[in-house]
Amino acid sequence: MTLIATRPDPGDARPYTFPDLQRVTVSGGTVIGAHLPGQALASALLLLDAGAARETSGREGTATVLAKSLEEGTAERDSAAYAIALESLGAELSPGLDWDTFRVGVSAPVPQLLGAVRLAAEAVRTPRLDPADVNRVRDDEVTALRMDWAQPGPRADAALRADLFGAGERFGRPMHGDPASVAEVTVDDVIAFHRAWLRRPGVLLVAGDLDTIDLKALGEAAFAGTGGEPLAAEAPLGVPVRDQRRIILVDRPGSVQSTLRLGHRAPERATPDYVAMTLSATVLGGAFTSRLNHLIREVKGYTYGIRGSYAMSRRFGRFEVAAGVQTAVTVPAIIDTLGEIDRTQQFGVTEDELAVARSWRAGQLSVEMQTPGSIVGALSTLVVHGLPDDYYPTLRSEYLNTTLADVSAAAATHLRPHGLTLVVEGDAAIIRDELVAANIGEVVDAQV
Amino acid sequence: MTSPSAPAVETGYPWPIQTTRLDNGLRVVVSEDRTAPVVCVNLWYDVGSRHEPAGQTGFAHLFEHLMFEGSAHVAKTEHMRLVQGNGGSLNATTNPDRTNYFETMPAEHLELALWLEADRMGGLVPALTQETLDNQREVVKNERRQRYDNVPYGDAWLRLLALLYPVGHPYHHATIGSMEDLNAASLDTFKAFHQQYYAPNNAVLTVAGDASPTEVFALAEKYFGLLEPISSLPPAPSAHLSGPATTPVRETVTADVPAPRIYLSHRTHQFGTAGYDAITVLATVLGSGRGSRLYQRLADGARIAQPDYIGSYGVDLAHAPAPLIITATAKDGVSVETLEEGLSEVVASLVTEPVTEEELSRAKALLTTGWWRQVSTVGGRADTLSRYTTQFGDPSAAAYRLPQWLAVTADDVTEAAAYALKPESRVTLTYLPESNGESA
Repeated sequence: MTLIATRPDPGDARPYTFPDLQRVTVSGGTVIGAHLPGQALASALLLLDAGAARETSGREGTATVLAKSLEEGTAERDSAAYAIALESLGAELSPGLDWDTFRVGVSAPVPQLLGAVRLAAEAVRTPRLDPADVNRVRDDEVTALRMDWAQPGPRADAALRADLFGAGERFGRPMHGDPASVAEVTVDDVIAFHRAWLRRPGVLLVAGDLDTIDLKALGEAAFAGTGGEPLAAEAPLGVPVRDQRRIILVDRPGSVQSTLRLGHRAPERATPDYVAMTLSATVLGGAFTSRLNHLIREVKGYTYGIRGSYAMSRRFGRFEVAAGVQTAVTVPAIIDTLGEIDRTQQFGVTEDELAVARSWRAGQLSVEMQTPGSIVGALSTLVVHGLPDDYYPTLRSEYLNTTLADVSAAAATHLRPHGLTLVVEGDAAIIRDELVAANIGEVVDAQV
Repeated sequence: MTSPSAPAVETGYPWPIQTTRLDNGLRVVVSEDRTAPVVCVNLWYDVGSRHEPAGQTGFAHLFEHLMFEGSAHVAKTEHMRLVQGNGGSLNATTNPDRTNYFETMPAEHLELALWLEADRMGGLVPALTQETLDNQREVVKNERRQRYDNVPYGDAWLRLLALLYPVGHPYHHATIGSMEDLNAASLDTFKAFHQQYYAPNNAVLTVAGDASPTEVFALAEKYFGLLEPISSLPPAPSAHLSGPATTPVRETVTADVPAPRIYLSHRTHQFGTAGYDAITVLATVLGSGRGSRLYQRLADGARIAQPDYIGSYGVDLAHAPAPLIITATAKDGVSVETLEEGLSEVVASLVTEPVTEEELSRAKALLTTGWWRQVSTVGGRADTLSRYTTQFGDPSAAAYRLPQWLAVTADDVTEAAAYALKPESRVTLTYLPESNGESA
């Protein structure tokens, strides 16, 4: 045999480091810079405390329409001139929204970064918001959502969210709204959202070669003309969980796969169990060799992939398993999935599985944090959740040192297999009877 | 308008590159960068779906799946467990041209990654079982359902290839392949596939990141040095085409889609040629970003196209003239005829209205950012070097791509458009909603 049979041992590990951080306070705002020597590109992200939660009830999607309206011209220049000015720097604006923040990112070669941040600030602080443009963007967004909702997934996501958080609550509605709510958004809604939330300084995050980047100049550009005090944090929403499982069927006639979204509520990001929960979810459904992916994909061949994870924001969290499975095996796939969640909740994880989860999560902190874009993303986690500058080295050591008992305890406490909502988006005519007969939980039809 | 203050770019690859070739033909490329304690191991095998004969479509891709299912000294699923369980990220992809495998690891696990890759290069066949083949065939069928069959417009790429390339051409069929062919595949066929293509003299190994050339060359010799080369590599099927198509082709699909959509496509030049560099710049001028002609004229100007779904891009294939794809989706109440007319006018304008300096510098700035983004990770760098070694015989040729894009002139773009985008060489693929009768 010409192969070497013995698996090699690892070499000496270099110590983990997160880039050095610098802080500059200027023009009423804060700039946080991460030093990445030698990188040709730099990224900047303006983080504003203006997440989807700040939208008016019934007008979900207001912030998204605003985000898409920012490039429709500014006080300085029209939309065509704006696009050419920004793109001629090699930059494109990436406005985005999550539950906690409104964020606007730009990446550009280092010498172009200041120009790109100036243009980003121009769009964020002084957009034209001409009523005709805003109405058109709103109509386009309704169409874009209809396009998106024609794919498998968004309707199932909306059904799960409504069931977990309440269809009448902001957190129970899709983050970007739905076609009906976006259609209700008015020019006044968009202007009011801008006035209330986008004229506050926020925090500017920068990653790049700080030897040649002037953080103060970037801050002056980002914070010019802004004002307002930081906003008070609001209390977490708690973790109510159903006492019985429930199946919500979303009909998608002709679908050759069933899209599964199984979930329940979970604690918010600040939970002291964050690391143990993350590790337990990694064993259950995070890694490729996770229990779910191993059984449902690698043994049964029901799916191209299945994932289970916690998602946590400032005020709430949720556990979710997501997969697309072949229509004919919808029920067997659900039963196997429930079995693995149940087993993990009851009996915890093994030392071998945990070893993989620990090393993977720890290693990802260097492997997946090489680029300016990924580093500004990491910085945003620090800011949104009030974490210290040495958070990532600490997190790495926590991943490596959390005990089996702690991880199994987190699985026992935070997984709620009997309170799951199971959303199944697929061809109801084919799968309904079998779903009912499986006796997993009451089957109801979704109104989405 | 003058160009922004972009400095002259002399190289797109400012990191060191060192190469060697083992006696068995394995080409080894190392690009050291000690910035972060991570290293990427990347292998390109010079086999893709273009090598598949009739009746065996989808084999190269299914084979890629089998490469994760164990080898002589690695148990089923152990490959994934060892890479992730040591902190790494991994994947593999198959396209018409080639198959690549890659893992980025904390640097202390470099040797493990090389051992794993050598074991499956040299020792896959003894570990291949019928059970594994059957399981991964089902996984691939689900991949097809998820990516192509269950999403609106999901089969556009499959249809375009068949329209762009004649029957029998290596690019005529899509990499995902036919489920009937996959069903008919036997274990012996896959064993033969490995023996035919998976060998050191049909591969390039690149290591980028926190490792020295000396160390990598020694480890490559240790783990790969004794693997047997293939004595007679079969020649790739001929991909010759004599220039762009001469007859337009049109296909209209009525399906469960939310809005009418058009794909226009042309065969252009092969990736790596000056002609394709011009096409790359052309595609950016035409359809990348809000400042592009398509966006400015059809989304922002005439407002007949949905702003989120308009653009153009080349597919970087290297063994035959590569496709340029131009797409737009109709806004509510806009007929597909109006949309097609608008698209055709904008495409024609590339010949009749020369690209301005402003358009050219915008496109080049976006391409510059895109290039640096691609090489901002050790994984991106390793894949780039493997590509240039496999396709052009020289990893350092990667450094020229960005300067060559930046050297493209307005005349080059006009010439490329006149050559490749003629209406008579056009493929037009149109999707219409099933209930489209009343609105269009």
